[in-house]
Amino acid sequence: MKREDSTLLTKYGKNPGFKVPENYFEDFNKRMADMLPEVEITPVDVKPTMWQRVRPLIYMAAMFAGVWCMMTVFSHFTATGNLDGVHAVAEKLNDDKGNVDEFIMSGAVSDYDIMNYEDSVMMSNEESSEDNNY
Amino acid sequence: MAAREKYDEAQVIEQLHNQATCRAAFGKVIEHYSSQLYWQIRRMVIDHDDANDVLQNTFLKAWTNIDNFRGDAKLSTWLYKIAINESITFVNKKKVMNQLSIDDDESFLVNQLESDEWFDGDQAQINLQKAIAALPEKQRLVFNLRYYDEMKYDEMSEILGTSEGALKASYHHAVKKIEQYLGERE
Repeated sequence: MKREDSTLLTKYGKNPGFKVPENYFEDFNKRMADMLPEVEITPVDVKPTMWQRVRPLIYMAAMFAGVWCMMTVFSHFTATGNLDGVHAVAEKLNDDKGNVDEFIMSGAVSDYDIMNYEDSVMMSNEESSEDNNY
Repeated sequence: MAAREKYDEAQVIEQLHNQATCRAAFGKVIEHYSSQLYWQIRRMVIDHDDANDVLQNTFLKAWTNIDNFRGDAKLSTWLYKIAINESITFVNKKKVMNQLSIDDDESFLVNQLESDEWFDGDQAQINLQKAIAALPEKQRLVFNLRYYDEMKYDEMSEILGTSEGALKASYHHAVKKIEQYLGERE
């Protein structure tokens, strides 16, 4: 991409034509260092803030909490086996974006899971209609 | 000539806050920054002797306030800020001495350039300096930092306390104004 100052750079370059006396910077540096007055330096307070002190403990606690959560979830799935088919179908049906046919075709749930789900829906419908009758 | 010691900014800042090492550390700061600050100041005040005085004031001010520098910003940013403030103060004082208004541009600084023994540019360079001097103060600063030093906008933003977007716009306007100024005089 062309620089907006390319015309100026081409025509005038970057040297403004200023110059300095010979050894100017060496002389200046020495002269400047010699003319510095005495100053009082306050030592920097290196006492850490409260957050700086507790930060490692909080990070460690967060790490242990994360590991504990992962272990709990892992042990839950190990104990109960695969996804509960009935809940999986229910979740899929409640999800507007989901395509339940695709889900079923993919083999994630068995026919038995679908029958169980239908039974549970029928039972809950009967219960709610009985409630309504009261 | 002894080889120049490698400049380690973190180490220098640490030494600056120690009474025993601060003076030597500031010597390293002067050695490291004097040239780049000088050229920035020189482009603002134009005259070499004036630039020398402003550079001296810049380092004196930095030294006497070194206790206030806690390393939150970069040392270069802090020094540039001081140098720019000192340059602006100097130019404004010079305007008063020349019975000019503070709002007048800095063209008067360039008038003596042709006879300046520390200037060896040609007429084109004089014209460019006149065009830069005719810019408003902020645009002039932005132009000098970007065009000559190629300073990044984020660094410039820290020094001048202006958003990067505004600085880009300032530079764009400055370039256009300079081109127009030079175009009218060709």
